[in-house]
Amino acid sequence: MRPPRLIFITGKGGTGKSTLAAALATALSRRYRTTLADLDRRQSAARILGAKLDAAAVRVSDTLDVTALSPRAELEAFIQRIVPLKLISRRMLKSRTFGYVTAALPGLEAFLMLERLRALAGQAALDDAYVVIDAPATGTALELLSVARGVKGIAPFGTLNNLAGEVESFLGDPNRFGVVLTLTPEELALREAVEAAAALADAGIATVAALVNAVPAALFGVGELAAASGLAEHAKMAARRVEAGAGAARARKQLERGGLRVIELPMLFAPSLAAHEVSELARTLEAELIAE
Amino acid sequence: MSKPAHLFGPSHRLVICLGPGGVGKTTLSAALAMRGAIEGRAVDVMTVDPAPRLLDALGLDPREGEPQSVPLDGIAKAPGARLRAMKLDPKATFDALVARYASSAAARDAILANRIYRNLSGALAGVADYMAMEKLLELHDGGANDLIVLDTPPAREALDFLDAPRRLLDLLNSRALALLGASRELLRGLGIVDIAARAVLAAFDRIAGLHLLSDVQGFVRSFDGMFEGFAERAGRAQAILHGPGTLVVVVTTAEADRVAEARAFVESLHAAGMEIDAMVVNRMMPAMPALAQLERAKIPAELKRKLKRNWHDFAALKRRESISLEALRALLPGEAELIVAPDLGHEPRTLRDLAELARSLRTVKEKANAR
Repeated sequence: MRPPRLIFITGKGGTGKSTLAAALATALSRRYRTTLADLDRRQSAARILGAKLDAAAVRVSDTLDVTALSPRAELEAFIQRIVPLKLISRRMLKSRTFGYVTAALPGLEAFLMLERLRALAGQAALDDAYVVIDAPATGTALELLSVARGVKGIAPFGTLNNLAGEVESFLGDPNRFGVVLTLTPEELALREAVEAAAALADAGIATVAALVNAVPAALFGVGELAAASGLAEHAKMAARRVEAGAGAARARKQLERGGLRVIELPMLFAPSLAAHEVSELARTLEAELIAE
Repeated sequence: MSKPAHLFGPSHRLVICLGPGGVGKTTLSAALAMRGAIEGRAVDVMTVDPAPRLLDALGLDPREGEPQSVPLDGIAKAPGARLRAMKLDPKATFDALVARYASSAAARDAILANRIYRNLSGALAGVADYMAMEKLLELHDGGANDLIVLDTPPAREALDFLDAPRRLLDLLNSRALALLGASRELLRGLGIVDIAARAVLAAFDRIAGLHLLSDVQGFVRSFDGMFEGFAERAGRAQAILHGPGTLVVVVTTAEADRVAEARAFVESLHAAGMEIDAMVVNRMMPAMPALAQLERAKIPAELKRKLKRNWHDFAALKRRESISLEALRALLPGEAELIVAPDLGHEPRTLRDLAELARSLRTVKEKANAR
């Protein structure tokens, strides 16, 4: 099965979300035109791919573009549509009154962002291309995805209500939209992923897969470490590795019980995370998620 | 070389923990509070979004909006030690604030039922920040403590939190009322930019079929009489935050991404005229043991080979961490302290875990000249 046109990657902070977004975009770009869009403002995914996002979009390879999306830029574009006089709209955007506009209409920025994602996915379908979104951490990301429902609540009819309806059906269409959750073999990250998956299922949004990141390759056999107990720090370090492996197994079991597709990604024991490491992760993702 | 972190001086009354999400800021806030208590202070800690484990460790009932005593039995501590913890509930705090300043019961009910308020109080970024300030004032004025430790909502920028009162007041002040309201007298005072902003709101309202403007107007108008009280409290909270008794702590971890974020925090604090007093780098790996120890060990050859491989793997991670730590050290101003907190390998499950974390905070870079 093909992945959805737009893949939205989120997870607990510190689980390697941006690295995996970069790796997934790299994997997709080996077969299709792909855009990696940074919604996280930190532009980490771009940095990991060695791209400097000084322009609106930067070409990383023939088939991979990196771009940054910001709710604020979407709102500015919206305001420039409504106030076509450039001089006034520009001054307005700089003024404090701009803050009132956003504060008075909570959720407007987020809603315009979802509208933009819908347009991106539509374009990708026409071009047989894919879009990977490096989204904010779980809580913020789920809030963003729930905005369409909220907008329908405050606008029971009218244009905005129709638009919100379209955004909702986009988010609920597994061919166009899907979420990838990232976690590490650690209790809090697992809990957050399980809760996010449940919230997404409630909202009728597809979860493509849960990526368990930073799983160290198994090294020690059962009971093997007993003989090393005299080597205090060495034994502790070995125990950490064993514990991470066991944590990954627990995560897999619990996530699969919830009906999720689980993919493990190796802990990369390297002094820096650069192109080589990303391409290693991309290979795993390509084999697991993209190859038919 | 490191030594036990010194942290709190006698003049410190407030510790404010800032930092991006996912670095263990809430846990660290609790550990700093524990540290203050162990040293013999009466400490109150307010957490924003504690993990269930931490709630368990502190024995905290999350539904309770007031500080709850944390029993310190079985933990070595100086005389006078006392710890109270609470979890921030922004919505409930906002409701209480409205109830306090509303001119009448009818005004209060009108606000609480307004659909803009219901949206705003639950969801609007900045409300949680503002309410954290509000609770801070309560704890500060209550006077039953030597030290307050304030955890803050995760933020991309330090100023998201520090700026919150100003942003909320901006929305509620009379200028906003003029902007959003329809009264002609008020409109006369507006400049062309404000008129344009009004046009945007009106256009959006019309296109969207929201009929929201009258609600917004009603909302801001109902806050009219309360504005003074809000402004006074926000002003006092600002004064405390910028005062000499406040210790500004940025929490981070030694990951490449976090280094970039920490740099942005330090820079934006500086730009706002606030200097960072300490940076705590959380989840530091333990020091690497000597490889030679393995060579001498009398263990099966196969196990020895695996332990060596494991050592080399972790050494690579430790190198990655050291590079980040050096980058963090380089970006800190001279007057700030750099502190490391060890990775316990798991979230603190008990008060003892928290006390262990509190005791193991170590300084790796002291203040250049302690004032």
